[in-house]
Amino acid sequence: MREVCIIGVGQSTFGKLSERTAADLGCEAVSEAITNAGIKPRDIQVAYGCRMYDAMTTAQSILKSVGVTAIEMINVENACASGATALRCLWKDIAFGLYDLGIAVGVESMTTSPVAGKLIPPQKDDLDGHMGLTMPTYFAQIARRLMETHGATVEDFATVSVKNHHHGCLNPRAQYQKEFTVEEILKSRMISDPITLLQCCPNTDGAAAVVMCSRSCAKKYTTKPVKVAASILLSADYFFKKADLTSFTMGKNATRMAYEMAGIGPEDLDLIELHDAFACEELVHYEDMRICKPGESIPLLRSGATALGGKIPVNPSGGLLSLGHPLAASGTRVVGEVALHLRGQAGKRQVPNARVGMAHMLGGMESGLEAGAVGIHILTV
Amino acid sequence: MQKIPVKDGIFVEGPDGVALAANRCKSCGRFYFPKSKFCLDCMGNNLEDITLSKQGKLYSFTVAQMPSTHFKPPYAAGFVAMPEGLKIFAPLDIIADKPFRVGMEMEVYTDTLWTEGEREYVGYRFKAL
Repeated sequence: MREVCIIGVGQSTFGKLSERTAADLGCEAVSEAITNAGIKPRDIQVAYGCRMYDAMTTAQSILKSVGVTAIEMINVENACASGATALRCLWKDIAFGLYDLGIAVGVESMTTSPVAGKLIPPQKDDLDGHMGLTMPTYFAQIARRLMETHGATVEDFATVSVKNHHHGCLNPRAQYQKEFTVEEILKSRMISDPITLLQCCPNTDGAAAVVMCSRSCAKKYTTKPVKVAASILLSADYFFKKADLTSFTMGKNATRMAYEMAGIGPEDLDLIELHDAFACEELVHYEDMRICKPGESIPLLRSGATALGGKIPVNPSGGLLSLGHPLAASGTRVVGEVALHLRGQAGKRQVPNARVGMAHMLGGMESGLEAGAVGIHILTV
Repeated sequence: MQKIPVKDGIFVEGPDGVALAANRCKSCGRFYFPKSKFCLDCMGNNLEDITLSKQGKLYSFTVAQMPSTHFKPPYAAGFVAMPEGLKIFAPLDIIADKPFRVGMEMEVYTDTLWTEGEREYVGYRFKAL
């Protein structure tokens, strides 16, 4: 198995951009990643595209605009973990020697998709979905369990949102660059008790791309390659195997596998980017990732350790809560974000001297399963 | 109006009226609702039909202030932990003098949950005892 590196990252503008096509957004991210990597477009040997809504030959529709055609292109879907899935596939191709250099791009145009302005509708045979289970009602019940078993308060959930919105103010690519107080978060419109509007990520249009290559290939382009120390993708297990709503079994397992693969432990991490579609969710991942002891996610949050300037900043980008969540793009975006920090190029939100970072993306909701899939990438320099 | 279950095979006529139809793996004891064709845990093929208890304990809940596919806000929903060891997700009745709390005793009953044209979709709901 060969060592794989990240040499380029790119992100489009994030926002409500209904006048722009998905291909156009994808092209913005891909062009930036190509420039950032210092490669020529036709150095790309393989490309993975991903998009949840109205997906058809996404990679082709984007790459033709930068002069790349007639190579192997694969389009993948794994709900919100699509971008992480595309990167995992690209990593495998390079690690096992099929190709030396490739790109993964995730894109979503939520405002022009069939789910624009709506909740994601249940499949015909999704019993729980028809009985009223939606993303907000599911995560609201996770929040309720955290209140029951962890002593969490609504102020704690709001604090996650305050933190990530503060980080988002330092990120020029964030959809919402605005500070909020705990009180403002709690006073915003109730969505699904105890989750209020400002504890939910917005629906967003945007794209993100990452260029990966082998270690030997990276030498041609950069003196500062970022190593992909772990790449893990796991699908969800049965819901009945779940001990409590306050943990994702697959997240716990995937993180453990990633630590083993990278040969590091949670204490070695300098930053984490994770799926914070709802504020309460971030707390669940703290424990699954073992950055605190079981049951101690609330004290960890309250200590300020997970804010910029703390021991282990979580979502220094601003997270999905302030960046917005273009579903398939978020999985590539978080990996790109971690790479920027390890290269010392994250601007005002930079985690100082970051050398090890983890990117996490959770996706999907399927009746009978605890979710859909989870992708974990650990990067090092 | 034509009455249709929200999913085929979820109800059974029991000694105390209509109950939720489940099954149980005779090898490992795992219960399934809705019924499973084989044991998803131990892969055993020897399952027996049972009727689920009518009462369970509220495990988690929410009152949603936005619509779902079939329900207008506000609607309450939650997971109820059944004595058989499984958790069932269902709509909950909002009762003014019985605010929801985790652990409260709940009872299932069947009801029309939504209608589409001439079809009434019959499902299950829980209410606090």
